[in-house]
Amino acid sequence: MKLSYVIKRVLYSLFVFAVVITLNFFIPRIGVEDPAERYYPPQGNMSEIEYEIVKQLTREQYGFHVSTWQQFLNYLKGLAQGDLGTSFRPGSPKVLDLIKERLPWTLVLSVSTMLIGLIVGVLFGVVAAVKRGRWQDTLLLNASTVMVALPSFFIALVLSFYLGFEWEIFPAYTDSTMVSEFAWTWEGISRVARNAALPVMSMMVGSIISYAQGTRNAVIAVTNEDFVLTARAKGLKRSTIRYKHILRNSLLPIVTSLGMSISGLIGGQVVIEQVFNWNGMGTLFLEANQTNDYPLMMGIMLLLSGFTILSILLTDLVYVLLDPRVTVGDKR
Amino acid sequence: MEQVLKLRNLKVVFPTDYGLIRAVEGVDLDIYHRECVALVGESGCGKSVTSQAVMRLLDSPPALIRMDVLEFDGRDLTQCTEAEMQEIRGKELAMIFQDAMTSLNPVMTVGNQIDEMYRRHYGDSKQAAREKTVHALELIGIPEPKERANSFPHQLSGGMRQRVLLAMAFACMPKLIIADEPTTALDVTIQAQVLKTLRGMQRGCGTSLLLVTHDLSVVAKMADRVYVMYAGKIVEKAPVKELFTNPHHPYTVGLMAAVPRLTDEKKKFTQIPGTVPSPVHKPSGCYFHPRCEYATERCRREMPRLEPMGRDRQVRCFHPLGVGGKSSD
Repeated sequence: MKLSYVIKRVLYSLFVFAVVITLNFFIPRIGVEDPAERYYPPQGNMSEIEYEIVKQLTREQYGFHVSTWQQFLNYLKGLAQGDLGTSFRPGSPKVLDLIKERLPWTLVLSVSTMLIGLIVGVLFGVVAAVKRGRWQDTLLLNASTVMVALPSFFIALVLSFYLGFEWEIFPAYTDSTMVSEFAWTWEGISRVARNAALPVMSMMVGSIISYAQGTRNAVIAVTNEDFVLTARAKGLKRSTIRYKHILRNSLLPIVTSLGMSISGLIGGQVVIEQVFNWNGMGTLFLEANQTNDYPLMMGIMLLLSGFTILSILLTDLVYVLLDPRVTVGDKR
Repeated sequence: MEQVLKLRNLKVVFPTDYGLIRAVEGVDLDIYHRECVALVGESGCGKSVTSQAVMRLLDSPPALIRMDVLEFDGRDLTQCTEAEMQEIRGKELAMIFQDAMTSLNPVMTVGNQIDEMYRRHYGDSKQAAREKTVHALELIGIPEPKERANSFPHQLSGGMRQRVLLAMAFACMPKLIIADEPTTALDVTIQAQVLKTLRGMQRGCGTSLLLVTHDLSVVAKMADRVYVMYAGKIVEKAPVKELFTNPHHPYTVGLMAAVPRLTDEKKKFTQIPGTVPSPVHKPSGCYFHPRCEYATERCRREMPRLEPMGRDRQVRCFHPLGVGGKSSD
């Protein structure tokens, strides 16, 4: 029964991915005229015939010389071989190579933010739930109210102004040689850590508070369940009840929000990366947008949506492990 | 006879934004060895709060709890620390709850949930505990106990789940089991089977039982003695036979009349007029007087005391029925 559930979920995810690939290919093509004309306007001393040849060559170079359907088939063929297409950038770099270059730097920020947010947030949330109504809980409530009004880029600006420019504790601006001079040495790593400090700090506040809030509410909701009273009536110790009965049941909503945030890991934070001059996926996407480099945009979008589908699938599968009731709903 | 539970003057108050909710106002309970005592009343009369207060499971805050005596098996529970209470709960003083679906942890197998009893109170190993669990499930009438132990609560029927709760409560052969509406969530045929099992187990194990219920038919089947509760106070206490043949308090009489009978065709199926008073604004005098057809001026002014009425009977009424020539109908 569980196996059939897993197969069903996987097939469903594959179907969604196929739809995403199709839409991802056709939507950018709706409003765009001949890319050759668009990216190579007539040069001053070029004759009409020469210009036609240049355009034709450009089309052939990017695979636009065939019909749209044929292009789609070629695109699918490329995808099957792990080729996301070729960027319009000078030098015609492969989209996949551009992404490979930026993704690790985005992951440095996003994964550390998520881990700190998850660990600190869940701990804080459990404490707030246990100390319900006391100062720890009030602190969380007030902090989350303030956070609603404080976007992360504002925190980023404040942090970069004080910790960066005024007190010079952390670099306010990522130095451009961090990436080019990176090596797996102690110095290289600590340099990345120092540069990442401010962007991570500006993002983790919100992350911690949202995990804490979710955990607190889940723990309180589960604490009021009847089976917790049963567990107490059985004479179980408070710690046993807390970890074996309450926390396990509170995990479900936490796993959901974790799954949701996994897909955000590779997207990068466009604004935060801009504020701190961090060359990650967010910046790459912004550049692609500004230069109308749609093979690159398509590549990033495809990666993002593929990752989203994958993380939702994983969330669903983890649910099966955590909650034995999940398959019941599937049987109906 | 050996007394298992002695409760004197239990008072429980919940402070709320609307005022104080006086849930329990001076309840006394006595339960003897091997006895089944029923605590009867409408919803909101304080019977569940009373049972949880005896288990010392009420959280304070929010509840404000006061009692003069809480003796269980010769021990003064009011002096026990939380750690000592945890040793007693489940092992000597167990509880069965109303809705087995929500009272069992949905993500743990029922076997694991019963194992916990043996592992906690006897320090058994996983295997030893499971052996005892399977035996307990078998005893309580669950077919294929070994397989069933690996089921999750949602995979069992309502009656099975309730039996799991029974097996859990009887696991350590406690001296007293408090069953809070143990069959209310079940349909009538299953209810009868579960009650039969409960009665059989109680007799077989020599356990005392405090049965909290609103269902008089359950009381008639199960109980030896009955406490009738209304708006946080005991209004009548009697052995079960005497209560059914000759109820003294007008509220008890009203409850009896509200049970439809197959045998009495003459008697109409009646209901008690009015509703249970709001726990925040209880009426003056006797709490039952606004719904009582025998109420007098004195009932409106004064709260009657719980007076002895013959052997082992008590009633809280100025004008008890069925006494000295007055008839109860």
